[in-house]
Amino acid sequence: MSAQLLVVIAGLILVAAIVGSLIFMRGYSGRFTFDTKNGTRPRAAEGEGNTQGLAYKGRFTLLSAGVAAMFTTLLVKLWSMQMVSSDHYDELAVQNQTRTVTTSAPRGRILDRNGNELVRNRASLAVTAYRDLREDTVLVRHIANVLGMPYIAVMRNIQDNTEGAQARHTIATDVRRSTVAYIQEHAGEFSGVYIEDRTEREYPYGTLACHVLGYTGTVTQEQLQTQQELIDSGEDSASSIVYQSGDIVGQAGVESQYENLLQGIRGEQTVTVDSVGNVTGQVGEVPPRPGTDIKLTLDLTIQRACEEGLAYAINISQQAGYANARNGACVCMDCTNGEILGLASAPVFDPSAFVGGISSDLWSELNSEESGNPLLNRVVSGQYMSASTIKPFSAFAGLEYGIYPATRTTTCTGWWTGNGEAYGKWCWNHSGHGTLNLQGGITWSCDPVFYDMGKDFYYDKDNPEGLQEMFRRWGLGSKTGVDLPAEASGRVPDAAWKNEHFSDYSAEDRAWNPGDMTNIVIGQGDILVTPLQMATAYAGIAMGGLEQTPHILLSAVSRDGSGDAYLYNETGSKERLTASINSDDDLSLVKAGLRGVIYEESPSCAAHFNNLSVKVEGKSGTGERSNEDPYAWFIVYAPADDPKYVIACLLEEGGFGASTAMYATRQVLGVIYNEPDNVPVTTTDQTR
Amino acid sequence: MPPAKGAAASSLKHVNKKLSSSRSTFRQQVHLGVLIAWIGLIAFGTVIIWSASLTNPEASFSRHLLGIGLGACAAIVMWNLNLSNLANLSSVLMAVDIVLIFLPFVPGLSVTAKGMTGWIKIPLIGLNFQPVELVKIVTIFYMSALGAQYHGSIDSVKEYLKLCGMLAVPFICVIIQGDLGSSLVIFVSGAIIIMMSGARKEWVLATLAIIIGLVSLILATDSIVDGIVGDGNSLIQDYQMNRLLVFLDPEADTSRAGYNLQQSLIAVGSGGFFGKGLGNATQSAAGFLPESHTDFVFALLSETFGFAGAFVLLALFALLMFSTIRVAIKCDSLFYKLVCVGFVGMWLFQIFENIGMCIGLMPITGIPLPFISFGSSSMIVQCLVIGIIQSIWRRHAAQ
Repeated sequence: MSAQLLVVIAGLILVAAIVGSLIFMRGYSGRFTFDTKNGTRPRAAEGEGNTQGLAYKGRFTLLSAGVAAMFTTLLVKLWSMQMVSSDHYDELAVQNQTRTVTTSAPRGRILDRNGNELVRNRASLAVTAYRDLREDTVLVRHIANVLGMPYIAVMRNIQDNTEGAQARHTIATDVRRSTVAYIQEHAGEFSGVYIEDRTEREYPYGTLACHVLGYTGTVTQEQLQTQQELIDSGEDSASSIVYQSGDIVGQAGVESQYENLLQGIRGEQTVTVDSVGNVTGQVGEVPPRPGTDIKLTLDLTIQRACEEGLAYAINISQQAGYANARNGACVCMDCTNGEILGLASAPVFDPSAFVGGISSDLWSELNSEESGNPLLNRVVSGQYMSASTIKPFSAFAGLEYGIYPATRTTTCTGWWTGNGEAYGKWCWNHSGHGTLNLQGGITWSCDPVFYDMGKDFYYDKDNPEGLQEMFRRWGLGSKTGVDLPAEASGRVPDAAWKNEHFSDYSAEDRAWNPGDMTNIVIGQGDILVTPLQMATAYAGIAMGGLEQTPHILLSAVSRDGSGDAYLYNETGSKERLTASINSDDDLSLVKAGLRGVIYEESPSCAAHFNNLSVKVEGKSGTGERSNEDPYAWFIVYAPADDPKYVIACLLEEGGFGASTAMYATRQVLGVIYNEPDNVPVTTTDQTR
Repeated sequence: MPPAKGAAASSLKHVNKKLSSSRSTFRQQVHLGVLIAWIGLIAFGTVIIWSASLTNPEASFSRHLLGIGLGACAAIVMWNLNLSNLANLSSVLMAVDIVLIFLPFVPGLSVTAKGMTGWIKIPLIGLNFQPVELVKIVTIFYMSALGAQYHGSIDSVKEYLKLCGMLAVPFICVIIQGDLGSSLVIFVSGAIIIMMSGARKEWVLATLAIIIGLVSLILATDSIVDGIVGDGNSLIQDYQMNRLLVFLDPEADTSRAGYNLQQSLIAVGSGGFFGKGLGNATQSAAGFLPESHTDFVFALLSETFGFAGAFVLLALFALLMFSTIRVAIKCDSLFYKLVCVGFVGMWLFQIFENIGMCIGLMPITGIPLPFISFGSSSMIVQCLVIGIIQSIWRRHAAQ
């Protein structure tokens, strides 16, 4: 109403001006003649006939001037509109008549390394119509009958504007081919009804590799906002994909990670419309460009083996009495180049549940603690204490910093009192291992050997944190850089961390103690690792200290299908780090220890690997958390003399590594070398 | 009113002399400027309405031609008619005026169209007619009859106020009837007649101040009452207020009231110099431009023929108006002088308002563009006016 007030104020000012001018001109009794020539003529002279005409001359001049002023005003305004700003109005007129509607582009497929389709697009025939079809209720009723849908539902879909008012509105998807044929044969009856080829995500192998593939969903408001901010700040000007509300985008896994490749570029149709918005014709069309197909490093066979092996190991855990064993992770990697060949996480989810929108009930179920958070990719996002699988890296530290040279020995009685009787600690083997050197300590996973090492690091003047430094050198405590979303970085605790992390506690409680060192040296306490970090680190041991960055993308398939347009390995060095081992002796000592784990430590474990034609090296681990069953680890690489595969498996509350998680790794190796394990399962092995 | 009678008598003599004169030529019978302008405007309008009829079923070309035919008949009748006696019949004319204004409310005759009760159904013929068009002419006649009594100078405030009061009667009646646009036409033509009758400048300015002050007051009260009652409909209808607000800021709301104006501006602006050509006016063909054959016909014309076409149209109107002023100057009767001045005033406002609203200079009201807009009532009455002017030229021109 401010404009209304403006008018009022302007009116009052005008009144004031007129009144003012009247007062100012008081005394001048001029007639409304503007007749300067005859103004002084006596009134009597204005008589009859032509003299009257003379008297009126001034008034007519004024009237003519008024008419002329009107025409001038109109002409000036017309000139400015039609001659000066004509282009602007022209543009507006064209904008009036045309609308751009978009057609969606199919996403790229996701293939395994051999070209097997892990995710493909399913053709879905959709019946669509423009909004104005709603006026033809007879035809709408006819369509409803043909499609076998309620009239109300058809009407609602036609009027639904979520796809944009001028776009064709989807009446039904996944329409039977016979129905489509009927509509096409009777095109005359169904004028204004269109058949469209749509695509939807399809997963031929069901839940297989669901954590790698991820899922798709409608673009979220936050994502649109982020994009807008990027465009506004000019950082995203190179990106050719501009999302619109309602677009389907990758929301997790590879679908999200390689969204830029997989997303197609939508087509545009320019249509002419009339004033009510009805489409009257089509002016131009830019066809949609499908997304790029990508090849993953996954090998369908190994992927399946990882998943089946993980399920098998969980099953064994449960048979062994670990009722809570439900969740776990298993990953198989190529040591030589970091390619992830198989990646399994339990429990799994069905990515096809996300096609066409997921129900909120199912969504909350998938995110609940009770269902074990199936959406979590435990290989890259799960953080666990490493348990004894960390011992090889502790050994490298002890050797390199001279804390625990190869010649040193420790006598294990099962009860270690290096920090005083009050702080005595058990070896997992309460009856004791006897006297062992470092290699034996790895093989037998003897805790007192490493307790001595941890304690000596703690009191070492030069390298009190040499142990942590060695862990970090192998990549623990930082992300591996795998091309999957939501990777966790783990944690390598040290004095600074403890002081910071427990800042609410007293200085005494926050102090870094010898007990902290003896904990992390055997992978217990506050240390956290991801299964992928451990697999990458063991691949580093296998390769003599050279770690490769794990990755999941093998290549992007060129558009014409003739080959690979883009290879992951070509885009720069993917060497993650070189854990520069000081001497080959250190490496061979550790590797010998790891070989002992497989073939010497326990006959029951050795039995499962002796029937393999390749030599295997590896380590078990059993993480202990209060009030929970032990977390089972088993990590192997093979062949030991020319390493190619590294396999890591973790079972949450799965029991002892060597008797449960081991079976997953053995099963994967069995599939890789086509040498299945024929030795009966024994779950009594409690070695760690 | 002896002086008026005398004037009429002397002019009658004059006409008789002229008619009997052997030197009587065509140019003495018919004012060429008015005739040419009239034919030009009718032809121009016919072309435009024909092009509108191609896409708009409401713009019936045959009905437009019928209106022109009836209008031409009315013009010829008027040309042959001597209306001098009307100068003495101001009271009768005023009575006729008021009857005409309220005719659309008579049951049986009343026709409501476009939300306005402004039409009557003429018995027997069955055509709809808008009496307010005729009211404009009748008002001009009786205001002229009144004004002519003063011989060119109104000497007392009382007389001036009497004239104003006589004008206020039809003005207020038409407002009550609900046609703000026509009431303003009546007001402007009447006011110009009063000024030309010799009103003092101070009185006119004072009246203007009072009117503006009143309007401001009404607007202010309206917003205050709206604030209290809160229905936005108390004194001034919502749509009238919206039109005013949209005029002040066309971009404010392009979906409702501002839409028409915006579309009209686009139509005019996109015409360019030579226009888009006949039948290529996309704004009206696709239905974006509302009322492209009636109130917004100028926008259609400008889009079709561009600045050149608009210029020709304005030139024809200018020829018509200046010719009429010429007739008034040459006229030997004060009454007919004022009648012609009233016609010029009527056109002045109608043209400025109609074209002005199409190009955003004036708020939107429903006033037809004379001789161009589709609508028989306006066409017949405007032709009638042409006949009257020719009749005046034929009988009262001082050669």
